[in-house]
Amino acid sequence: MNELQANLSAMWASTRMRLVTISRYQGQLVSEIIFPIVFAAMPILLGRASGGPNAEDIFAANTGTRNYVAYMLIGSSVFSIVSNAFWHVAYWLRREQEVGTLESLYLVPTERSWIVAGTALYSAIRSVASALVAYLLGSLIFNVNPLQGEVGLALLFIAVGLIPLYGLTFVFGAVVLKVKEAGAIVNVMQWGVSFLMGIYFPVAIFPPLVKAAALLFPPTWMTNGVRSALLGMGFFFGKWYLDLSVLWAFLLVVPLVGLWTFTRVETSVRRNEGVGQF
Amino acid sequence: MVGNGTIQTKALCKTYITRQRKGIFKSTQQPVEALKGVDLEICTGEIFGLLGPNGAGKTTLIKILTTLLLPTGGEAWVNGFHVERQANQVRRSVGCMLMGERGLYWKLTGRENLEYFGALYHLSPQERKKRSNEIITLLAMNDIADRTVETYSSGQKMKLAFGKALINDAPLLVLDEPTNTLDVPSASELRAIVRQLNQQGKTVVYTTHIMLEAETLCNRVAIIDHGQLLALGSVSDLKSGLQRDQATHFEGVISSNAESAVRSLPEVLQVSRSQENGATCLTVVTSAGQSSLAQLIDTLTRHGALLNKVTSQEPTLEDVFIARTGRTLAQDTRVTI
Repeated sequence: MNELQANLSAMWASTRMRLVTISRYQGQLVSEIIFPIVFAAMPILLGRASGGPNAEDIFAANTGTRNYVAYMLIGSSVFSIVSNAFWHVAYWLRREQEVGTLESLYLVPTERSWIVAGTALYSAIRSVASALVAYLLGSLIFNVNPLQGEVGLALLFIAVGLIPLYGLTFVFGAVVLKVKEAGAIVNVMQWGVSFLMGIYFPVAIFPPLVKAAALLFPPTWMTNGVRSALLGMGFFFGKWYLDLSVLWAFLLVVPLVGLWTFTRVETSVRRNEGVGQF
Repeated sequence: MVGNGTIQTKALCKTYITRQRKGIFKSTQQPVEALKGVDLEICTGEIFGLLGPNGAGKTTLIKILTTLLLPTGGEAWVNGFHVERQANQVRRSVGCMLMGERGLYWKLTGRENLEYFGALYHLSPQERKKRSNEIITLLAMNDIADRTVETYSSGQKMKLAFGKALINDAPLLVLDEPTNTLDVPSASELRAIVRQLNQQGKTVVYTTHIMLEAETLCNRVAIIDHGQLLALGSVSDLKSGLQRDQATHFEGVISSNAESAVRSLPEVLQVSRSQENGATCLTVVTSAGQSSLAQLIDTLTRHGALLNKVTSQEPTLEDVFIARTGRTLAQDTRVTI
């Protein structure tokens, strides 16, 4: 095997190892399917209780779609992908550090970026699968058609959006490695990003500064892309390919920033106390 | 590289910056020197023992040699590769068992652990399977290899951690207290495997708290304390060096007053105190050999000591350790960071 093949093989081994591990925690998988449905159910039921007879019209005036049920389900499903990305990568590093396996990963010739990439791939497979099942199941429960609109385009927005999302988790993984505190950082990030990406509402209603901040995060473009593709709402730039090209730009830049930050922090940690100390 | 050894270090230093907490909000930074200019050469094909109490600097030294830490000064080469500039080549050429059972994935089986680390050491899928099977057979773990690690006993986990160090079939093995938590027959079995691997050509760096283990297993040992190398040589050389500086063991009721009186004698080099079966044991190393025995007994008894047993025998590695460091290996010198 040449170096690239060996690293790819190590990356896949990391993905596979984590899939095998999670298959031994089946309750966790079930909870990941239930959470997005519960998260969507709260605003859906609140809307039904408080919106009155013309609730759908008011919602359509603000968002561009009358289908607030699918809107919420898409928001909570994409949020579960974003939230899992932070927990599975940033928190994973901390967990490995605490249980003692992180040092073992620093003793091998495979660069950590390949191992982290393997973990990101595992996380993507796990969270996209559970988000899709949650969306389909939620649609069934609330009696809406899950496969309306352009399903292929929605999947394309998810696929392209995942890479910069995981690039972002590299940055926060590095922060966790340095400050040795995962829970608070991941919580702040997942709720901050979920608020900015518009889990329950369109980012158009934000004040200008908050809206500008929201547009700096790839998950905002991913969520809006999926909603627009499935529910026929407007894309930020009017055309799907323009919004997608912004995600492509994120795809090219964010992973490199993530990798650079991670490598810098890693060297700094090795220069002082090492990765094993927690 | 400057020599032909498997491991070479030149004036290796490591300083940690630690944070001293003072109450809720205040903290100050304080440097802690873990290694102070260590020069060391470990030859190809030897079993090299690294001895030192907790906090002496041996784990820091090992972590630098295995690329987990970067030194703050000096240089080190492992298998001809520079630990900072050629870290990946170093990692490829070393098999490590550093944190015992903590380095394993407990939700995976023993076999899955070995195959996963095989992949991270860049073995092909066929090589991983073959090598894992060989290790499982070598360590007689066939019965438990397909059970998850969480169901293993502590000793079985240590065995698997040792097996993990063998997965890349590296020419150098770094083993940090590999017999910890093993029962006596398992520890003896593991030492036999280490000897066998050494006879097959592997160089072994072995840290242990068990002096007898170092005496029986190692070709050469280094004693490290407070970040400095205090002694280096073959076990027999170190012991014969102590012949002149005779070690005598006193057992009984010995007050600290009596101990201080002995310490103040001009020919006394080191005194170490420990407790055994309720009695105080004093190991006294003198430069005058047997001729000072009468004076030592006299000094102790004059200061109220009641002696049950006085032995003056062939020095052990423990005596060498006491002579060099002034205490037993069990005494902790760790600096908490």
